[in-house]
Amino acid sequence: MAIKVRIPTPLQKLTNGKAEVDCSARNIAELVEALEKDYPGIKERLSEGGKIRRFINLYVNDEDIRFVNKEETVLKDGDSVSIVPAIAGGC
Amino acid sequence: MLTIRKGDLRTIIDHCIAGLPNEACGILAGQDKRVERVYPMRNAKAGPASYEMDAEEQFRVMKDIRQKGLAMIGIFHSHPSGRAYPSGIDVEKAYWPGTELPNYPDVVYVIVSLMDRADPVVKGFWIKDEAVREVPLTVLS
Repeated sequence: MAIKVRIPTPLQKLTNGKAEVDCSARNIAELVEALEKDYPGIKERLSEGGKIRRFINLYVNDEDIRFVNKEETVLKDGDSVSIVPAIAGGC
Repeated sequence: MLTIRKGDLRTIIDHCIAGLPNEACGILAGQDKRVERVYPMRNAKAGPASYEMDAEEQFRVMKDIRQKGLAMIGIFHSHPSGRAYPSGIDVEKAYWPGTELPNYPDVVYVIVSLMDRADPVVKGFWIKDEAVREVPLTVLS
């Protein structure tokens, strides 16, 4: 299945400068593994212990995966996945 | 340098004052380092010393900015009782977790100090290349 993945600037060094890549996966966990196969190192950037890192937001189309089924969120042909760093801070 | 209209600066300050005693936050959209639109955002981790943009609102606004042909050029937040300078947590959160890669390398971080509520101090900064550098703000009346 072809899934389009939008890659944020800090990870584009791993994707040879590409801001969007195609991938085949049935859920987010598989997507991370598939990306790692094509772009070694990206898995560690995205996840820790099999979970998507805190302060990294993933969206399937317009849905935040935390409010769907997290790493088990199902993907289908034509879906678009966006990887977006959270915006946070504090004094 | 970041250029901003006086009215947009007022919008930022008003949102920060409305958020007291907690920190407030928002996004600045524009072109060529000139702010065209201010997006006041919800602080999903509201506290007097913390902010985190609501993830869904953040995504929606970033999409809206792209659809308008603009770019995200600034991120603002308040320091209710701190100075207008990035804190250690502000710097840490500006980078991809565990790396020295800035999350948003083309964005100016704008900080509003409300230590003196009658006279807020607003300053802009680059947070990248393992350094914090002030970016002059030019206010258009």
